[in-house]
Amino acid sequence: MNRIIAIAAIWVALVALPWWLPLIGGYTALGSKVLIYAIATMGLNVLLGFTGGLSFGQAAYFGLGAYGAGMTLKYLAPSTPLAILIGTLVGGAAATLLGPLVMRRRGIYFAMITIAIGQLFYFIMVRWNEVTGGEDGLAGFSRQDIHFGPWLYRLDETNFYYLVLLGFTVAVAVMWMVLQSPLGHTFVAIRENRRRIEFLGVRVERYIWAAFAIAGFITAFAGTLNALLFNFTSPQDLHWILSGNFVIMIVLGGMRSFFGPLIGVIIFVVAQDYLSSITGNWMTFIGMIFVLIVLLFPRGVLGILARRVEVR
Amino acid sequence: MTAATMERTGQDGRPPAGKTGPLLRMDNVSRHFGTLKAVDGVTFEMHAGELRAVIGPNGAGKTTFFNLISGLLPPTGGKVIFEGEDITGQTIVERVAKGIVRTFQITEVLPDLSVFENIRIGVETALRLNARPWISRRERAAINSRVFELIDIVNLDGKANRIVGELAHGDQRVVEVAVALSANPRLLLLDEPTAGMGDHETDHMVDLIRRLHRDQGMTILFIEHDMDIVFGIAQRITVLDQGRVLAEGEPDAISADPRVRAAYLGSLE
Amino acid sequence: MQLLLFNAFNGLIQGVFYALMALGLALILSLNSVINMAHGGFLVIGAYLAYALSPYLGFWGALVAGPILAAAIGLAVERLLIRPIYKRTDPLYSLLLTFGLALIVEDMTRTIWGPQGLPLEIPDVINSPVSEVYFFVTGYRLFVIVITTAAVVGLYLLLRYTLLGIRIRAGINDLETTAALGVNIYRLRALNFGFGCLFAGLSGVLAAGVLGLTPPMGNSLIMPSFVAIIIGGVGSLFGAVVGGLIIGLAAGITTTYYPAASEAVIYLMMLIVLVVRPRGLFGEEGLFE
Repeated sequence: MNRIIAIAAIWVALVALPWWLPLIGGYTALGSKVLIYAIATMGLNVLLGFTGGLSFGQAAYFGLGAYGAGMTLKYLAPSTPLAILIGTLVGGAAATLLGPLVMRRRGIYFAMITIAIGQLFYFIMVRWNEVTGGEDGLAGFSRQDIHFGPWLYRLDETNFYYLVLLGFTVAVAVMWMVLQSPLGHTFVAIRENRRRIEFLGVRVERYIWAAFAIAGFITAFAGTLNALLFNFTSPQDLHWILSGNFVIMIVLGGMRSFFGPLIGVIIFVVAQDYLSSITGNWMTFIGMIFVLIVLLFPRGVLGILARRVEVR
Repeated sequence: MTAATMERTGQDGRPPAGKTGPLLRMDNVSRHFGTLKAVDGVTFEMHAGELRAVIGPNGAGKTTFFNLISGLLPPTGGKVIFEGEDITGQTIVERVAKGIVRTFQITEVLPDLSVFENIRIGVETALRLNARPWISRRERAAINSRVFELIDIVNLDGKANRIVGELAHGDQRVVEVAVALSANPRLLLLDEPTAGMGDHETDHMVDLIRRLHRDQGMTILFIEHDMDIVFGIAQRITVLDQGRVLAEGEPDAISADPRVRAAYLGSLE
Repeated sequence: MQLLLFNAFNGLIQGVFYALMALGLALILSLNSVINMAHGGFLVIGAYLAYALSPYLGFWGALVAGPILAAAIGLAVERLLIRPIYKRTDPLYSLLLTFGLALIVEDMTRTIWGPQGLPLEIPDVINSPVSEVYFFVTGYRLFVIVITTAAVVGLYLLLRYTLLGIRIRAGINDLETTAALGVNIYRLRALNFGFGCLFAGLSGVLAAGVLGLTPPMGNSLIMPSFVAIIIGGVGSLFGAVVGGLIIGLAAGITTTYYPAASEAVIYLMMLIVLVVRPRGLFGEEGLFE
């Protein structure tokens, strides 16, 4: 019951965000960015926190989604829903195709291969100048207002935020359903004791593949929204540094809890936004945040709270 | 054992129509690791409804023998036949689907999850639901009631929501048995089910094994070091020594067998 | 033909740097079970410290001092930051920690020495072209190959014939048993981490002579080094070296025909290896699977 009230309260706060965020010095687009990163990290966490697959190259699928959406708008058709659909499919399909190459690997090897594979897409986007805009990024497209028959949904900053919130709500609902299902239970069992579940007759690799694909689709979906938010995307959106940032956001919030990544994203994105506005050395501070989280708060914010509740 | 339970065992233990002969047959099976002959030309039969113990001194090849039955290791020679079908080349996964289910010498549980969740994944796997990304209310109710049924069978009532990693060792092993049961085994393999347990916990496990055999008609093969348990509950005993079958028979015959005594005394020296 | 040879030789030199990096990474990966994302950071440290010291020590002194200082800093980092988290079995944490260090090193280098590229002065003795026709075969590039070969052979001899080397190999094989035999595995892992950083530092100084110094140089060399390890086979130090040379050559040759694909080609090669031979060229079967 408490849980339902908490979730309802969070959701009401999110709906009202365009009113209250500017009052405390933020701006609506920052809210959109937080929700977009929350979708990406919660999607990644299906693989990382729930299945135990240490993916360190998730930005690749985020970036593919972003480029897919941007290129759809720029070269194909001026339709926002189509851009989201195609971007999501491109990133998700890439993850699905590459999944078999990583699903047999364990631990550090899984991490290493996912990082390295991610770089392939990075270099494609950097070098395929005439189409992707190369290192300068892909510009020259903009999100298009959505037509529902005679009715028009104008995608200004606030309305776009509500589109993102809708996407967030749908993504959360889907992930919640999956994690409550036998498939989700299988994911968690693989994380807990791969051998045990294997001996029950579960072909573990297939399920790691499934988790990889699901994470890929959801991160790609977030990537499409990110491209639409800025009407721009660049190779930085699929660089391994962004992959690392996704992981640290998850760990910061608490990788074992469903909403942990959301908390981590809020803290990280706000901190990054603030640090980059006051110092040129924000990268050093972000690096120090990494080190401190690992040494002092490995369980993340929600992990610490959960433990406190247990103790009581 | 009472006549009634004998009869029940007989009914459940009868091979399925169209198939006769033993439930499991190991035909001259070997497993060599280089020059080490861990299992060396073992021929072994087990009939449905049996409660059999495998004993032998350390290094006799008992666990390797289990690995060959469960499919963890492929044999280097010989055949494994289950219900008349040659399963020598089959993987663990395929054998579990056939009903060959085992527990391990080392506790294998999902430590951060509750007793309920540990057993639930077993039940869902047995129902082949693993790939389903949704679940209906009705299915969930059916799964839950099966989980509670298993919790009841193994006598873990009241501990359903306890985190398994925080339970006593004996209870963790009972959870393992419950998870194995969720796979609807036709042959249950227990590798040292009472290892590392206190007296009270051992009694609980022994009672569980006995009840599974008697009430569920379960076919059980177990490795055990504690001779009181072996001679207390096993109907037949197979003695392994240096990878070979040294003796096989009813408890009385085994305890009287001079070769068995020699093997055990030999290993004590 | 001339162009192909030119690019292939350039690629080979690039491959030498990948190989040195990959070798250090593979050492740390095998014994310390850490994917050292900060490995590029140690490369940068070695290179920039050599640059800073070369006015005082000369090129030769800096060539020795750079790698040793990188190793010393590596030892300190291992002791202070990495040792406390060995007990966490999830490799996630060491990965994140070294990731953070990589960001810090790149950013601090930029703050101290500036974002622009800096040249490392090389003595004329070794910097002149060896041949008029093959102008790209400078003495320095041959020198890089010689030094690298010496370092790799030195490591091989160390692992093969010294007590420390034998212990490192035993630790890679089975850490628990090695500890049970009374080897101080904390010291062993620390020294091993230092060796890894020594190779990163050496790679940095040598690379600085060819490519010049820039703050992101380390972080741009680390990804190809991962690829070198995956192609060579995880768990095989020899494979890491061979993998580095192969991808360097492949990138160089590709530059001749289709420059835009010169980076992507090594990742494509990696995908092919993963499909055709998942354990890599020299990897042991089943290891890490």
